Amino acid sequence: MDVRAIVLIGGAGPAESIAGIPLAYLDALGRPVIDRVQQRLKNFGVSCITIISDSSSDNGPFSHAVAISPSLPHLYAEREQLWQVAEDTFLKYAEGGADLVLALRVGPYVEADYEALIQHHLDRHCAVTMAVDDAGQSLEQFVLSASARNDAAALFRNRMARMRRECAPFRVRGYCNRLRNSADLRKLALDGLLARNEVRPQGTELKPGVWVGASARIHRKARVIAPAFIGAHATVRAAALITRGAVLEHHAEVDCGTVVENSSLLPFARVGAGLDVMHSVVGFRRLCHLRQDVEVEIADQTIVGMVPLTALSRLAGSTAALFAFIPIQLYRGLLASSQRKSAAKIPECPDNVTGALEAPALEVPATGAEASEFPSQLAVARRYGDE
Amino acid sequence: MTSSRPVVVKRMPEKMNLKQARKFLKEVEPFLVSDRPQIVFDMSQVRQIDAAGIDVLLRCMRAAARHDGDLKLASLSPQAAVVLELTRAGRLFEIYETSTAAAKSFSCFLPNAIKQLYEQPLDTVLQMPAPEPPSDSAGLAA
Repeated sequence: MDVRAIVLIGGAGPAESIAGIPLAYLDALGRPVIDRVQQRLKNFGVSCITIISDSSSDNGPFSHAVAISPSLPHLYAEREQLWQVAEDTFLKYAEGGADLVLALRVGPYVEADYEALIQHHLDRHCAVTMAVDDAGQSLEQFVLSASARNDAAALFRNRMARMRRECAPFRVRGYCNRLRNSADLRKLALDGLLARNEVRPQGTELKPGVWVGASARIHRKARVIAPAFIGAHATVRAAALITRGAVLEHHAEVDCGTVVENSSLLPFARVGAGLDVMHSVVGFRRLCHLRQDVEVEIADQTIVGMVPLTALSRLAGSTAALFAFIPIQLYRGLLASSQRKSAAKIPECPDNVTGALEAPALEVPATGAEASEFPSQLAVARRYGDE
Repeated sequence: MTSSRPVVVKRMPEKMNLKQARKFLKEVEPFLVSDRPQIVFDMSQVRQIDAAGIDVLLRCMRAAARHDGDLKLASLSPQAAVVLELTRAGRLFEIYETSTAAAKSFSCFLPNAIKQLYEQPLDTVLQMPAPEPPSDSAGLAA
C-alpha cells in the first residue's frame, strides 16, 4: 500500500513560535521536532513526505539557527496559501498513485501508532479518519483515502477544523504534546530526558543521565547533574552548574559561574557570567519564564545573547577576541603599574609611653573564653555585629 | 553503562549540627579519598540540619569530585529537603527516592527514581501531607 504524508507547519498565526521561528523547527534534545516527526513517519513505511510551511519560518533574522534535513521536499507558502498548497499536494499524490495520504500539522507532537491508525481507517471504510486524544480533542492528524478528493478539499479549506463527513475517530494512546508555546517545548525535552516519550537525546551518555553531543566543551570545574543534555558544540565554562533537567541545545553557551536549573537553552543561546537561570526557556535574545508565564526580550548581550550563527562569523569573532586579548596582556605585563597596594605603614611605637596608655581607660572584666584570646588589659570594643 | 566499583551508602545522623557534622565528616573521609568514590548519603533520619551540615555535604561533594567520583543523596526527610532548597544546595546533588535507587543510578540512569523537584512548584513538593479529618462514623463511634 502506497502511503504518503503531507506535514504542515504554521497555520496558527503568531502562536506556536519563538521569535518568529515555528516550534517545529526548533531542537528538542539535539534534533528538530520536524526531523523527529518525519523519521517517525519513515519508520512506519511512509514512502513520500512533503513539508509545507508558511513563509514566516524562512524570513526571520534567526533563520540560520534552524537546520532541517535538506533531503526533505520542503515547500514554502504564503500564510494564506498554506492550505491551498496542501490541497494541491494532495491532488498530486492522488494522481501519482498514492492509496492513502496522511495529513498532519505540527502543531502538536504526537507519537501515534500510524499502522493502527491506517488499519482503523481501512476497517471503517472512511474517507477521512481523525486522530484524537484521550479527551476526544483533535490532534490535527488525519488519514485520507486518495479517492476522497472532495473530502480532502473540505478538510484543508476548513483548516483541519471540520470534516465533510463525520467518521469514527481514532484514539491515540501514545504520547501527545500540543507544542503551543515554549513551555510545551521545554516539557517535550524534559519528557525525553525522563524517557516518557520517544524523543531520545542525540549524543553520548557520558555518565548515567547526562548526554553530551559531539564537540561539546565542558570545563573541568563545571558541574553537570543528571538528568541533563548538552548539545553538539555547546560550551559550559568554569564553575557553571547544569542541573535539574537542564537542556542546552547545539552551540549554546553558559558562561562562568552561571547556574542553569530546570531550563532550556535554545540553539545558539548564550547566557552571561554569574547568572541564575531557573525555570526558563532562553533563546533568540529572549527569556521565557515558565512559572511567571512571561516573555522578556533582553537587549544586553552580557546577560542573554546569541552566539554567531555561522561558523565563519564565530571564527572571526574568536580571532578578533584573541588579537584583542594579546595586546592587553602585553600592556598589563610590561607597561602597566602593579595593582597591588603596598601595606599600610604602621607608626612606630614611641619610646616614652604616655600616661594615657599606661592605664586602661575602661576596665572590662574578661570572661573565660576571651581571657585565653585577649589579654585582660585590653578592652574588646566590637567583635561580630552586635557583640 | 555499568560500574563494578562499590557504592558506599552512609546514613546521616538525626542532628547535623557542628559537632555531629565534624564527627560525620571524620567517618566518611576514608571513603571520599578513595579512587573514584561512589557515595550515597541516606538522609531519612535527618531531623535537624544547619549550616555546618550543609557545609559538610558540600565538602564531601567537592572531595568526591576531586577524586573523579560522585556523591548522591537519597530518602530526604521533609526537614532536610526544606533546608536543602532554602540554601539552594539541593540543586548541586542528584537526589533519589531511595538509597537502593541512588546506588543503582551509578550504573544506569533511573528517570523514575530521581526526585523530581523541578517539575512542580516547591511549595507543593515540600508540603507535608495534611492529617486526614476524622470521618463522621469514627466520630460517632467515639
